[in-house]
Order: sequence, then C-alpha cells, then structure tokens
Amino acid sequence: MIDSLVILLLTVLITLGAVATALWKGPFDKLIGLSIITAGIIPFVVMRGYLDVAIVVALIVPLSTIIILLLLGRPVR
Amino acid sequence: MSPEFIIGCGLLILGTICTAWPSPRDYITRLINIEVAAFGLLLVMLSFDEMIALLTFVAVSAVSVFILVRVIGKKEAAGQ
Repeated sequence: MIDSLVILLLTVLITLGAVATALWKGPFDKLIGLSIITAGIIPFVVMRGYLDVAIVVALIVPLSTIIILLLLGRPVR
Repeated sequence: MSPEFIIGCGLLILGTICTAWPSPRDYITRLINIEVAAFGLLLVMLSFDEMIALLTFVAVSAVSVFILVRVIGKKEAAGQ
C-alpha cells in the first residue's frame, strides 16, 4: 500500500517538475525544474534495485547543470 | 505497463514539443528542454531493465551537453 502511495507521489513530483521546466521562461528557473525531475527519478532507479545507476545519475546530472551554468554566467546578448 | 514507462513516454512527448517550439526562441532554452526528453528516455530504459543502456546513456548525455555548451558559447561569442 505504501509502495503505490510512494509511486503516486513520485509521479506527481516528476509531472510538476516537467511542467515547471516547460512553462517557466528564465534559464535558472528551468534548471531548478530539472533538479526537481531528478529528485523524482532517482527514487525510481533505487526502487528497481539499480544502486550503481543511481550513483552515476546522482553524480552526472549536477555536473551537467554546472556545465550549463558556465554558459549562463556570460553576459547576455 | 509499469508506471515508469507511462511517465517516461509523457516526459518524452512534453520535452520534444517544448524543444521544437521553445518559448523564448533561444539555444539555451532548447538545450535545457532536451534534458527533459532525455530524462523521459532514461525512465523508458529503466522500465525495460536495461542497466548497461542506462549507464551508457547517462554518460553520453553529459558529454553531449558539454559539447553543445561549447558550440553555443562559440556561436554567441561570434554573434556579438
């Protein structure tokens, strides 16, 4: 019972993050939405039992966020 | 069908539509919206229990984001 409740809550979290990433205008807001999606996806990976994949996702997704932030730090046209 | 597959397909469709018609027509917006579709594909791979595909896709996605950021930075520097 608690398992289906967790899956429902994670679905709501991922949907909220996706809609927020799609609708918000600013790039910083979009990056925050991406991290909300990541927070919903990592428990799915852990519930399947792939802990090594969870480690790789948790290491690489903030890395790509930092790489995109390098692009955003420049002066805007 | 597992819930991962349904959520992944939804993320794929949403990310593809938002990449095709971004709200500010900008390269950065498209690049960030591609990430949403990439997470959808990751969930679909997760629902089929493909572990090597997951590891490879996550690593290659980070490398491709790095290359695209370099290209966009050079293009913006040339446009000024």
